[in-house]
Amino acid sequence: MTTLRVRDLSKTYGSGEDAVHAVRGVSFESAPGEFLGLVGPSGSGKTTLLAMIGGLLTPTSGSIDVNGLEIGQLSGRQQAAYRRDRIGYVFQSNNLLPYLTARENLMVVRAIGAKGRGAAGQRADQLLEELGLTKRRNALATELSGGERQRVAIARALMNDPDLVLVDEPTASLDSARGKQVVKSLIEEVKGRGKLGIMVTHDLAMAELADRVLEMHDGELTRLREGVA
Amino acid sequence: MGRGRRRHLRTYYGAAIWSRPAVVGAGRPDVAAEVFVIGLLEIRRRKVQFALITLVVTLISYLVLMINGLGVGLNEAAGSALRSFDADAIAYSDQAGLSVIRSELSAEVAGGIGEAAGAEESAPLGYVAANYRDSDGVVDSAAFLGFEPGTIAEPKVTGGRALEPGEDDGILADKTFLRASGLDVGDRVEVSVRLVRREFTIVGEIDEGQFFFQPAVYITRTAWQELKYGASGADVPFASVVLLKGDDLPGKRGEGFEAVSKSTAFANIEGVSGQQSTVTSLRVFGYVIGALVVGVFFYVLTLQKVPQIGVLKAIGASNFYVFRQVLGQVVVLAAIGIAVSVPLAWATYRALLQLPDAVPIAFTTGTYVTTCVALMVTAVIGALFSGRQVIKTDPIIALGQQQ
Ligand SMILES: Nc1ncnc2c1ncn2[C@@H]1O[C@H](COP(=O)(O)OP(=O)(O)O)[C@@H](O)[C@H]1O
Ligand SMILES: [Mg+2]
Repeated sequence: MTTLRVRDLSKTYGSGEDAVHAVRGVSFESAPGEFLGLVGPSGSGKTTLLAMIGGLLTPTSGSIDVNGLEIGQLSGRQQAAYRRDRIGYVFQSNNLLPYLTARENLMVVRAIGAKGRGAAGQRADQLLEELGLTKRRNALATELSGGERQRVAIARALMNDPDLVLVDEPTASLDSARGKQVVKSLIEEVKGRGKLGIMVTHDLAMAELADRVLEMHDGELTRLREGVA
Repeated sequence: MGRGRRRHLRTYYGAAIWSRPAVVGAGRPDVAAEVFVIGLLEIRRRKVQFALITLVVTLISYLVLMINGLGVGLNEAAGSALRSFDADAIAYSDQAGLSVIRSELSAEVAGGIGEAAGAEESAPLGYVAANYRDSDGVVDSAAFLGFEPGTIAEPKVTGGRALEPGEDDGILADKTFLRASGLDVGDRVEVSVRLVRREFTIVGEIDEGQFFFQPAVYITRTAWQELKYGASGADVPFASVVLLKGDDLPGKRGEGFEAVSKSTAFANIEGVSGQQSTVTSLRVFGYVIGALVVGVFFYVLTLQKVPQIGVLKAIGASNFYVFRQVLGQVVVLAAIGIAVSVPLAWATYRALLQLPDAVPIAFTTGTYVTTCVALMVTAVIGALFSGRQVIKTDPIIALGQQQ
């Protein structure tokens, strides 16, 4: 069961003249089993917000509480352990290791010390199967299509059985029918296990799959609306 | 194209070292402990880059091995015969300044040194450089050492027979002499020092090495007197030095003599100390440049991998984990490079020995082991440069945003 409580969260890049207030005073809460959508124009601070929740960026001020753990206060080493053990992150650019195969890209997660359900190999094969990648599992990342890579990135984010799945604009390279299918199974995976998910998207069809949709504008949370699902 | 071939290679190498991924639905449970080391996988997938680095390591290692081999060879040429003296100390004339060439001892002084120094055993030894004609009639020089059969100065005979007392026309020739001269046991040699000219017969072979960069040859002390001074007897010096055996001998001085250890004597061979520092500098430069080159190569490789290091760190890999991959790569590649360079150096050594004018080069197991260990250590030190880059890499680059 995962709970997330974000309080008055801000992030400023740089300082003085060049300061960019990417996120300003964002607050929201999320209950276990919830899957949130995050929308907003480009440059509105979606990636920055996601990265702070994911322990990649340290907030300038405010607090992020994940299951009682204050993320903003973690040391670099603790942040790394938090990312490894609690977070499944699908980056905006899918970021696979190019010299590894699809399957090996999943195995990396366990190789760096993350725990997860079952033996690493079995879990990897299972996820590849769920995402329709079984045939491509021994192809190098560089040999995969954009959509296949995105699906591998999603599978990788699930390898450590994370408390919190953070997905940054997955539709960019997911063809729509397939994309919807993939996101649906991702949502099932998250909700079914009482975890939490946040997905940044431009695609309204995708946003509709979320329980609630957060909307950002100029670093601020402007609206919180119920999803259709 | 390329796909089928790559798959073939992957299978080929995979079978050898790494277990292959389990086949889904093959009815076989997945092996829990699948060997999976990213750093090693990367070597397999980026063979060209890593092969080039290995080649550089091989060449550097080969270079350092050769420098060491030549250094050891040069030292042996300088005085391996001195090192193989069966003695704990060597006594010189106190006027000689520890020069074997200039040291001359009278019978009176030489005879008293053993007792005066408190040695258990002592033996006089004469030295003179003399020319001889080799089997092709070419004049070359050798180090002639005059000894008295039956004393500690007598070399160990490895072929033929020993010299009898008073056998003033016999020679015990070192292997290096036989190789350089093309002569053999039983052959006659014409030897000359200035106007003195004598004929000797090689009666035995010894394995004492070289002296003053020349092959060593042993003759009787009286033959040495004849060769060096044109006469034997009481009117000419009795010996150049006296070999001593016993405890606490180095540093002893007495009437007309001073005794030093063999290593002091070796270091005082003309030209040795300068040569030693040259060889030592070459070795140090070899190691330092080797470490720098290997370090720089891995550093450049690490710089190229910054985006991937960022991804690894972004999904939670520790600095230590990432560094271990780099270190593993360095160790594997350095091990391969060093392993290839050893037979290469050995083959070169054998080839150089075949040359008519033998290049002073020598490889001992010690040379190989120290060189290989030192190279591995320098490679690992070089890898530490990369460690810094690993720590510096910020995982937020995985977000793909400009800084
Ligand atoms: N590393 C950075 N340094 C400085 N400014 C940044 C950095 N990353 C993002 N920004 C700026 O912060 C703002 C929010 O960016 P981002 O979170 O990527 O928005 P979104 O994901 O909604 O497009 C933008 O104005 C962007 O230019
Ligand atoms: Mg973004």
